[in-house]
Amino acid sequence: MSFLRSAWYALPNLVRFVIRRLFVGVLLCLGITLVSFALTQVVPGDPVSANLGDRAASDPEIVAAFRARYGLDKPVPQQYLLYLERLVHGDLGESQQTKRPVTTDLAQYLPATIELATAAMILALVLGISLGVVAAIGRDRWPDQVIRVISLAGVSIPTFWLALVTFYIFFFKLGIAPGVGRLNPGGKAPPSITNMFTIDALLSGQWTTLGIAASHLVLPATVLAIYTVGSITRFTRAAMLESLSQDYVRAARAKGLPERTVILRHALRPALAAIVTVAGMAFGRMLSGTVLVESVFSWPGIGQYAYKSALALDLRAIMGVSLVVAAIYILVNMAVDIIYALIDPRIRLG
Amino acid sequence: MIITRRMLGVLPIAMAAAVAGMVPAGAFAQDASTLVVDTAFQLKTADPAREFEPTANLVLHPVYETLITFKGSDLTTLVPSLASIPVVAPDAKTFTFTLNPAAKFSDGSPVTVDDVIFSFNRVKNVKGSPSFLLDGVTVAKGAKDGEIVLTTEQPDPGLPYKLANPAVGIVNSKLVKANQGSADEGADKTDRAEAFLASTSAGSGPYILDKFDMAAEVVLKRNDAYWGAKPAYDQIVVRNVDTSAQQMNVMRGDSQIALDLRPDQLDAIKDAAYTLSVPGADVVFMFTNANPEISATAANPDFQQAVRLAIDYDGILAIAGEGAARPGSIIPTMFAGALPTDQGPKRDVEAAKAALAKSGIKDPVIELTYVSDITKNGVSFADVAAKMQADLKEVGITAELKPSPVSTFLDDYRAGTLPMTIVWWGPDYPDPSDYLLFGPGEKVGLRAGWKAGSAPEVTEIAKKAAVEIDQAKRIELYDAWQKALNAQGPFTSLFQPAFSMASSKTLEPVEYNAMWTIDLTAIAPAKQ
Repeated sequence: MSFLRSAWYALPNLVRFVIRRLFVGVLLCLGITLVSFALTQVVPGDPVSANLGDRAASDPEIVAAFRARYGLDKPVPQQYLLYLERLVHGDLGESQQTKRPVTTDLAQYLPATIELATAAMILALVLGISLGVVAAIGRDRWPDQVIRVISLAGVSIPTFWLALVTFYIFFFKLGIAPGVGRLNPGGKAPPSITNMFTIDALLSGQWTTLGIAASHLVLPATVLAIYTVGSITRFTRAAMLESLSQDYVRAARAKGLPERTVILRHALRPALAAIVTVAGMAFGRMLSGTVLVESVFSWPGIGQYAYKSALALDLRAIMGVSLVVAAIYILVNMAVDIIYALIDPRIRLG
Repeated sequence: MIITRRMLGVLPIAMAAAVAGMVPAGAFAQDASTLVVDTAFQLKTADPAREFEPTANLVLHPVYETLITFKGSDLTTLVPSLASIPVVAPDAKTFTFTLNPAAKFSDGSPVTVDDVIFSFNRVKNVKGSPSFLLDGVTVAKGAKDGEIVLTTEQPDPGLPYKLANPAVGIVNSKLVKANQGSADEGADKTDRAEAFLASTSAGSGPYILDKFDMAAEVVLKRNDAYWGAKPAYDQIVVRNVDTSAQQMNVMRGDSQIALDLRPDQLDAIKDAAYTLSVPGADVVFMFTNANPEISATAANPDFQQAVRLAIDYDGILAIAGEGAARPGSIIPTMFAGALPTDQGPKRDVEAAKAALAKSGIKDPVIELTYVSDITKNGVSFADVAAKMQADLKEVGITAELKPSPVSTFLDDYRAGTLPMTIVWWGPDYPDPSDYLLFGPGEKVGLRAGWKAGSAPEVTEIAKKAAVEIDQAKRIELYDAWQKALNAQGPFTSLFQPAFSMASSKTLEPVEYNAMWTIDLTAIAPAKQ
């Protein structure tokens, strides 16, 4: 026992932290399976009605075959235990609407959403931090006022409306954006490596496909980023204002360092801890909240998959999506904590 | 490297320039040999034996040919496809088809009687949504080469109309068997060909399946080995596009056809494209439950009559928008046996008040349930329910609106527990026999609490209509049946929502077909 204890403490702090968080993460995921399973059971409505045609739903033989195929003929506790047993083997069950393994569906739809959310996050970080810094530097002057309006608009404008308006302007009126979807109609996807078309096209050297995939990404990613730009801008501004009032910033200025260095190295770096927190939360929110953007831009991602699964009471798909989104939330939060430690020497993990 | 503010500012522009540089000029332009069709997908599978969704019918119709089919928008006249028009025995229990010897699959092998037997038995035995089409049907080889004989347990003159559905399309049995397909008893457990059929098609139609992505697009490629007339396009892309973007796509030329427009969108697009707004085949109807255990008020025949007379049918039709129609009874206007509109119930407020007084129910209050989370071709059930509520109020009936999500609504509706509701019926096949389910003691009749034996006259006419094979006599019988249904039944048809679409003027005008929406194989570029 003492050997295990000393071996545990011999591990670097970071490794201990990651192991502990992963263990807690697994327990959390288990809890999420229980909650999502319980919710799918209490929701009114029968998957048979939602998935079979009118005639088929009235045929006892077909209904029995449907229930047997999806394990719905077993007692509820047994259904849950069977689900857990399969989950241990990496099997999330079969979707009632696509009739494929949920893992296959997620492998297809999740990368599309991760690609979209990552592009949106990069855009939101670049714009949000830049605007926040500019607003803090020009506090209470016109740049600050303009940026305040922009960030307020960003968090206030409904995403669905913004998606339609940007599509109307940039695709329909100006013709400078490509149409809906991840590629042009009938376009050949690059060889599947990550299922993120931009990355796959890059890895396989298909430059034209990369250009087309990236161009299709620009408009939906921008729309998805707008809300987050608003919140990152506001957090950056507040954190920067706090940093700029610190003694070490005054000391840096007194030493005669160029203003650019004072801002970027001495004021922005400590402010990044707060920004990373917002960004981590925002990324999770983007993954689970892309459904409206995906709908307008016909982006075949996990948002649309989850929405259709909910309408069809596709229990295994709903649970699969819940589990995967929760796991991503947990991993992103863990990454945020690690990044804290990297950017702020005062924080120790362990 | 230190990232300066200036660099940060320039970064998005640089990224955009890099992306623009990578996309060659004309990369977004469309190939003239490709047809792009936008629709909001209702699609679950590419396996004909398991599909019963509108988008599946649209994309599988060009891939899997059926024994007989329809041409254009006419669903009253069958035309030969893989086989001739069947010879129907006088008892309407035996149907003999003769295969066209020229017919062959996309791999070049001939379409045989064995393929037909395998395909039909597979539809029955995988127990999917379309299995009911062949309930009680036995398929066997005929006496002559290329002859197929279908026999039914009960007389079924409507059977040939069921066989035009792409769900009973003929598959290449050797290919499907080689890829874990089965048509034997127990195929619901043993058939594993669905995944294969989502990647490779096994039909004899003018197109083959090139890509099947249920979330994004279905791509069809021309079948170079097709045995009939070659279609106009090398490739057809059917994309899953939200209705909000479809109109803009057609106007920009990004797609050529938009299938899910609302009637009010057509005005904006009519100069740039051909528009079509015609009654769809779904019938939206209401019922007052005839089962007194569910609601004594709703089950009162005079109350039912008062409701029928109180509804402002023209007002509801106006809500449904341009292109919508009102059938005279439950059979939609484009099917044989449809009753003219003027023979349906009419509004008469005074007569409604008198019927209500006769019912003896004072200040009746009734729950009116409707689906709240979906629309029917853009028509909101909430709007229709609100209009009905106002109409009923005028005659002294208080309708309490009860919105319900479709998933829970269907359970209650099918269980027959709703006192009064607005609901719809989409045809399973284009024959009036599909609507006999509305009779007393039948499936839909029971949902409205209309028990067997409660309307002997209606049942008697239905029995005769179900077995009559002479088309003129059939139509007369369905006519009489619907009149009796209108007078004695708990159902009242409200409207058929409009199907509204737009097609580019670079195409010849496109026709609507209630079975597969549009015939993709018949679309051709505009003549110069």
